[in-house]
Amino acid sequence: MKQTINIPLGSQHIALLEPVRFKFECENEKIIGVDSDVGFVHRGIERACTTKFKFDSIGYVVARVCGLCAITHSLSYTVAIEKLLGGEISKKAKYLRILLLELDRIHSHMLCLSHTCENAGFEAMFMRIMGDRELVMEIQELLTGNRVQFDYISIGGVNRDLSSTVALKIKENLYEVKQKVLGYMDEFTHNWSLSLKFKGIGALSLDDAYIFNAIGPLARASGLNIDVRNEIDYLPFNEVGFLMQTHSDGDINARNLVRLNEILNSILMCENIINGLPEGEIFTKIKGKPKGEAIVRFEAPRGELMYYVKGNGTAMLDRVRIKTPTFSSIPAFSHIFVGQDYADAPAILASFDPCLSCTAK
Amino acid sequence: MFDLKKYRKKSPWILHYNAGSCNGCDIEILACLAPKYDLERFGVINTGNPKQSDIFLVTGPVTYRSRERLVELYTQMPEPKVVIAVGSCSCTGGVFRDMVNVEDGVDRYIPVDVYVAGCATSPELIIDGVVKALEILEQKTKEMEKPLKLFREATLQNSIVNRRHTALKVGEKDEED
Ligand code: SF4
Repeated sequence: MKQTINIPLGSQHIALLEPVRFKFECENEKIIGVDSDVGFVHRGIERACTTKFKFDSIGYVVARVCGLCAITHSLSYTVAIEKLLGGEISKKAKYLRILLLELDRIHSHMLCLSHTCENAGFEAMFMRIMGDRELVMEIQELLTGNRVQFDYISIGGVNRDLSSTVALKIKENLYEVKQKVLGYMDEFTHNWSLSLKFKGIGALSLDDAYIFNAIGPLARASGLNIDVRNEIDYLPFNEVGFLMQTHSDGDINARNLVRLNEILNSILMCENIINGLPEGEIFTKIKGKPKGEAIVRFEAPRGELMYYVKGNGTAMLDRVRIKTPTFSSIPAFSHIFVGQDYADAPAILASFDPCLSCTAK
Repeated sequence: MFDLKKYRKKSPWILHYNAGSCNGCDIEILACLAPKYDLERFGVINTGNPKQSDIFLVTGPVTYRSRERLVELYTQMPEPKVVIAVGSCSCTGGVFRDMVNVEDGVDRYIPVDVYVAGCATSPELIIDGVVKALEILEQKTKEMEKPLKLFREATLQNSIVNRRHTALKVGEKDEED
């Protein structure tokens, strides 16, 4: 007789934002095997980048790979093209790029935290965090003109300047968000349904994180200190006060705390940028057609994002390759699920903060 | 007994499906359900079950693999139902139009009642769309209650009753009403 039951989760499920299907092989309550299928949202963007669009418009197309980390995608592509064209952008534009990157990280992490709360059955906390997230969305709208797809970055700089009234508003809202986040820290460490329930669930050890190539908050929660912001020099992250946030437990609670700490660090960086914004132009004209190869890495809210761009001296590119964070983390995800209770599966999944439309492109 | 018709308008349930979108519009739908915009004041609640829903929110340009599921979810929803296409890419394909794996919009597979444009659309527009959908839902409910007429009045031709061409086509209206 067959001893195991197969339970599917997805592709359409209330706990999921995106279509992904997991097939769990369960023995009684325990999961003993996972099979995942992520290809539901494959659209063929990489191919269209080389056949349909010219290189100067692709920055806006790749932003539509993922709505949550849109800014990281267009930024990585733009930096790759700037490398090929050999232009240098002004310092102010660099600072404004970091500002939006960090605002995006704050709202993405808040979305993930609220989702984790919802999957723990803590509906009130979900509503609270979503409500406070609007403060960040508001300043993103003020700064760029749109709430989600910003289209803020163009080859050579950024599209809008930061006026002093907007700067003031950003500071005000960020201060408020900071107080709220400090409040969540308390909830996430002391509230029974958030901390005790999540402690020891879905743990990933440091060695496993290394072996399975985990990245982003998932790896940092296991104590692996990798963060692309520490390793690159296209944008001056260290000047504006970047600090690595790690935790040693590796369970869901640790991931939540890492995310909260990162929000606090991002707020600090944003404040530093606004206080010390250098004078100058926001846009430098860069001429030419891309020729050669370039690789650019950035830290998206979920981990390392890599772009490879190859040009041949014409307006059409030869190849655009996108390696997204969730894709690299899938082996680690599958490893964590094994041995956990099935009832915890949605909560564990939410704590990974997977982004499937990135993964399938 | 519950009066289902009355409650349907007061409390329509939403089913949300992502047919290959970039998540931009999905998080705006989520923001709509959250405190600032609060779609729930119209009695709307997000369900995961097609059999209990009245309004179908679709985002994304419909990818090759999600089209079957889209049609399946649509057919599982009970009548009357309203479909809202959220975002430019679900209305027409948007930026994804003519990409290899994309089917250019939801209305190639299922009938759409409300189109909400914008990439990404804003929560205000989504709320407008849902309010519009409520009107359409009410209208559809009324139409469903009317008995269907299958034949026109028969005509007399050369003092013989002629029943030719009296059958009504699906959706056709008799001129007399
Ligand atoms: S309309 Fe734009 S923002 Fe919305 S899902 Fe489509 S591509 Fe994303």
